Amino acid sequence: MKTILCAVLGMASTTCALAQTVSTSSPLEFSGSVDTYFKYDFAKQPGNIKTYFDSENNSVSLGMIDLLLKKKTGKASFVGELSFGPRGQTESIPDAAGGGSSFHIQNLYINYEFSDKFSMTAGYMGTFIGYEIISPVGNFNYSTSYLFGAGPFQNAGIKATYKFSDKVSLMAGLFNDWNLYTATKGVSSVGGQLTITPLEGWTAYLNVLSGADVYGYGTIEDLTTSYQFTKLFKLGLNAANYDMKGSDNGYAGAALYPQIALNDAVSLGLRAEYFKYKDAGTVKGDQYTALTLSANIKTGGLTLIPEVRLDHNGDQPFLNKNGLAAPNAGQFSIAAVYAF
Amino acid sequence: MKYITAIIFVFFTLNLFAQQKQFSLDERRKYIYYEVADGRALNKDTLLNRAQVFINKFYKKTIRQVQLSDTSIIAKGKVIIDKTVLIAGHPSGEVSYSITFQARNGKYRFWLTDFEYIPYQRDRYGNYVASTKNSTPLEKTPSKLMANEWKDMVVATYDQVQKFGNELKAFINTNPSIHSVKDTKLLYIEKW
Repeated sequence: MKTILCAVLGMASTTCALAQTVSTSSPLEFSGSVDTYFKYDFAKQPGNIKTYFDSENNSVSLGMIDLLLKKKTGKASFVGELSFGPRGQTESIPDAAGGGSSFHIQNLYINYEFSDKFSMTAGYMGTFIGYEIISPVGNFNYSTSYLFGAGPFQNAGIKATYKFSDKVSLMAGLFNDWNLYTATKGVSSVGGQLTITPLEGWTAYLNVLSGADVYGYGTIEDLTTSYQFTKLFKLGLNAANYDMKGSDNGYAGAALYPQIALNDAVSLGLRAEYFKYKDAGTVKGDQYTALTLSANIKTGGLTLIPEVRLDHNGDQPFLNKNGLAAPNAGQFSIAAVYAF
Repeated sequence: MKYITAIIFVFFTLNLFAQQKQFSLDERRKYIYYEVADGRALNKDTLLNRAQVFINKFYKKTIRQVQLSDTSIIAKGKVIIDKTVLIAGHPSGEVSYSITFQARNGKYRFWLTDFEYIPYQRDRYGNYVASTKNSTPLEKTPSKLMANEWKDMVVATYDQVQKFGNELKAFINTNPSIHSVKDTKLLYIEKW
């Protein structure tokens, strides 16, 4: 008995001693999410609202399972994030194996912190442009905006970030064409992000990306900002302008994201968006207005997102119940997103 | 068989103790972690110096000294709350606090209080960052939906604060000279 007790105490002491060792290495981080949803289009038309994801009608559908690993040793760290499922496969732009049977790399990069102020990152990263992202964990609304769909999802490249102070930092980088694991037009884009924190709770990102993209070549300017006015009220804004090189094509839009917390578990948020494809010569570009009201109901790792969305376009790109052109479309969805 | 029974008994007893750990409340009804410790006949200057070295050497990234007198240190710090299952997890939030260390000849005391929680959320690059600048006092009564998560977070905070307290006491009570590679005694293996 003494031997066993001594062994147990010995092991406990050793564990304590090891715990006290100062290490520059962080534990391996493992996290991710799973999401699923039901969506009902008021005109019973699948794909009526043509923004990314949740395009079905009257269907319980799958989002994706997202798995993320992160590790930091000294000044070097990596992030590897893979997603599987429609939101992370066929419905996202890269489809590594083709045929919609593949996975989607969300992030795969290595970062090195040369100092507290200066770091460099290389690999495939979530885009620095825009307010919304692919992972539903990072968005308040479950459906996505027109601005999100029109802009880049990810950028492969190398970037350097310099932190001037707690209030100002600058990122500059060289990137492949949008959303591709390997470049088709070479390292052809240059991008930058100025991050400003004028007040506590207010952060603004001024972004520019110019070069090869899914449309050809062009330049996108983007402002993404949010301000926590009070403990309960937050307002976000995303505004972007894209001009395609050598033509009148492009798009512009803005979205407001007011959000109010009813308590620590329930929040309400609205997305009010205006989006327009630019007129090219005599061809008039589509313009959309969209209102999306969502609730976030949290308990533990689970977030329920009931949502109502109403879109309008005077050129009648939507379908009504009879399959005829209509200026309005609406949908209800309820999503369950579990983050771990 | 009786050994196994004894080990199981010890395991469940330890678990029971673990579940009972909790903060005390001070006169302001705020959570407090308070300890008075024997200074092993060291004078107050030595005790204060050792506490200062400990904070500035081992916790310089998470504790910021805000006031120093000849008998006390006041500092602000934070602990990162981790959601760890087995060997892997991720940060889920941070709890800021204020710490006061006071020394007298032969004894010292310290307390941590004003605990405030800020939840983390994952950003687009896969990093966990503060989701808001507004912190919530740990004493707050959470809604029913968040009650279990809040309870886990308070327990995790207590564990980390207790670990900090134990490390501080161990550092002060032992020789706190910090060895570098140069100071490490060389071991010659040529002759044996």
